[in-house]
Amino acid sequence: MSAVAPAPRACAWCGTPVEAAGDGLVWCCPGCEGAAALVSGAGLERFFQDRTAWAPRPETAEIAWERLPVRTRPDGSCEAALHVDGLSCLACVALVEGLLGQDLGVLEAHVNHATGRTRLAWDPTKTDLPRLADRVTRLGYGLRPLASPPLVQAALLWRLGFAAFAGANLMLVHAALYLGWFEGMAPGWAKLLQWTALALATPVAWWAASPFHARAWAGLRAGVLHMDLPISLAVGVTWLHGVWATLQGQEGYFDSLGMLVALLLAGRWLEGRARRQRASAAEVLAARLPTVARRQVDGAEERVAPEALRAGDRLDVGLGEVFAADARVVTGSGRIHQALLTGEAEPVAVGPGDRVLAGTTLVAGHVAVAVERAGTATLLRRMEAALAGAGGEAEEASPTERLAPAFTATTLVVATLGGAAWAWASGPAAGLQVAVAVLVVACPCALALGGPLSALAGTAAAARGGLLVRSAGALRRLATVDRVVLDKTGTLTCGRLRVTGGSDRVLRVAAGLERASVHPIARAVRDAARDRGLALPAAEDLVERPGLGIDGRVDGRAWQLRAAGPGRVQVVGLGELVLGDRLRTEAPATVAALRAEGLAVAMLSGDHAEVAERVAAAAGIDEVVGAASPEDKQARIAAAQALGHRVLFVGDGVNDGPALTEAAVGVAMRDGAPSSVLAADAVALDDGLAPVLAGLRAARSAAASSRLALRGALVYNAVAVALALTGRVDPLVAALWMPLSNGWVLWVCGRPLREQGPLTRDSRP
Amino acid sequence: MTALLWLLPLALALGGVFTALFVLAARDGQFDDLDDAPLRMLQDDGPQHPGGAGRPAPPSGRDEG
Repeated sequence: MSAVAPAPRACAWCGTPVEAAGDGLVWCCPGCEGAAALVSGAGLERFFQDRTAWAPRPETAEIAWERLPVRTRPDGSCEAALHVDGLSCLACVALVEGLLGQDLGVLEAHVNHATGRTRLAWDPTKTDLPRLADRVTRLGYGLRPLASPPLVQAALLWRLGFAAFAGANLMLVHAALYLGWFEGMAPGWAKLLQWTALALATPVAWWAASPFHARAWAGLRAGVLHMDLPISLAVGVTWLHGVWATLQGQEGYFDSLGMLVALLLAGRWLEGRARRQRASAAEVLAARLPTVARRQVDGAEERVAPEALRAGDRLDVGLGEVFAADARVVTGSGRIHQALLTGEAEPVAVGPGDRVLAGTTLVAGHVAVAVERAGTATLLRRMEAALAGAGGEAEEASPTERLAPAFTATTLVVATLGGAAWAWASGPAAGLQVAVAVLVVACPCALALGGPLSALAGTAAAARGGLLVRSAGALRRLATVDRVVLDKTGTLTCGRLRVTGGSDRVLRVAAGLERASVHPIARAVRDAARDRGLALPAAEDLVERPGLGIDGRVDGRAWQLRAAGPGRVQVVGLGELVLGDRLRTEAPATVAALRAEGLAVAMLSGDHAEVAERVAAAAGIDEVVGAASPEDKQARIAAAQALGHRVLFVGDGVNDGPALTEAAVGVAMRDGAPSSVLAADAVALDDGLAPVLAGLRAARSAAASSRLALRGALVYNAVAVALALTGRVDPLVAALWMPLSNGWVLWVCGRPLREQGPLTRDSRP
Repeated sequence: MTALLWLLPLALALGGVFTALFVLAARDGQFDDLDDAPLRMLQDDGPQHPGGAGRPAPPSGRDEG
């Protein structure tokens, strides 16, 4: 199936409509022709077979290479973090990597398809960055420096790997020792095993577990009883006790120690991954800004960094350049591409008086603009700040985190008192034994694992249902939602304009007139004509009248195509076409299912009240507000939440950002405006409401299993501490208790995934 | 029991080798990008078609978007 309408002909590289006659390939500009030649010349032609979307049009963009942080590696090679924009399909990734790889000086080129983050390593004696960048930019892909090196958790991963290795071997060594208790073992062999265990456990306790010690210490200095404090204490005390026990020719709790550290590190790594993805998205957003702006001062031009711009500055922006600040056009005209901010794939025409946003690209024309907001005040930078901040400190504490201070204090008090009592009754050695046993069995391993594991299972179950939840906090909020507020477009309807009424005669003429237009109505008209099997008639003298319609000649007669009220166009003197959006077939059933889950469903739409009411009635929603402005939406959500409701808002428009952030949970559609996708707590991968329903169920299930795991862990701890206080816990008992509690937590936390049953939804690329 | 004398170091050395390999892989960035690997697998590296196959052709796959 071709991606292009039969007429007009499309540029073979970027798909831009080209007016040209005859067969063969056409190009819209020398840049595109050059890019295609470069690909063919490099032997990477398979790109043309593999690609599933058009390539970006090559534009000249300036990159300030001197500001790019290049890291020199110990072996003399250089490494840089870059961001490639314009990656529309996997073939693009292969192309960019292939082309970079053909330079003999390139040691490594890895492009992440999802984020565009690229790691490039090269030999500075054989090539340099501007040369490599030139290869990529000549193909039309934008290349931007990223401020920081990738946020890697490599060190955490090494620790996890080592702790897993040492923990497994410690268990084997201890199994032999415990068997020795029952079967009898010569003291020499026992000693060998005990010292081996000490050698394995020491780096686990002090190197692998060092993140816990560091956080516990930082917490202590800040005067906070952190959940890492009992962990750190248990690890430290267990190790000390183990050293003392080994010297005495006895076993310590080393096997419990190894397993504990490995499991806790695994939980921490999983938590960190989600946070890292979010930070990376924020950084990529910031990379959209150009590094240089051309400021006009008294007729002269100076090149400044975007941060140096002030409101009122005049900028000159040429073809292919990116606006460095939110500004208003003063003179000139052109078309801007602002897909990132609005989701509108088609370039938008701008002229004097129009506003342009930082991060958008001028793809036609030449304009002079006056800066309105610069630097951190621009919409782009505010979005970035919101994104980087979310999921971080602002996130409300998880149940485990809220419990941490009380839990920590109780453990410490019980261990001290119990140890003191035993020391007073049966001597210091017994006191130490009991205090250590309490600290070991009370170590909040199951507690610390329960949170990340249930969040992981919940997000995985939601993702299978088609809803990508951005953070563990968002998942927890999703579970508490009691109202769903919908934006009409995209959630209840098919989200694409269609011709729903009008005669073939009108449609045929209209399609002829619209044959070259890129307007969404034109596309709907052409699609409808094709669906009804109408051949596109030849049209002449086509004149597009922005905001009005199109004039032209079809079949030798002059026609005018004009708007005729909401959702209607007319061919003057011939008849009208009705355009509309169709209700999704499953929408009423999903709305009913949401109600059955105990949720109130309402609609808050920016569309005409009449249209909104019609769609709501068809979908079975009785609470509906039409013609709502973005501020209205935000205010109404805030009002509902002030009454104690927890609102989930589903929206996809560029103006839904405030409402998405105001709501307890904001859900964006994958194909919605990228800014709404970035502002949202969750993203629906499939159209329609089904992902929201699946996500809600998964979140509720995860919240329930997390509560159950928490309660179970507390009961387990209470029983174990009681046993330890009566002096009945030795290393073997501890080694048997711990897998029981952890296994139970694992089983409980996996519930959201089991409830959902086998994979119900194809994983999509 | 004397088997322990060489089995124990051998087991630890083997485990150590795999741990070292894991650390090397992590250092090399093997685990930095866990999202793309399943997609890259789908790109087949079949033989290139001779002749005019390298002609730029319109992209396939997506619907009219």
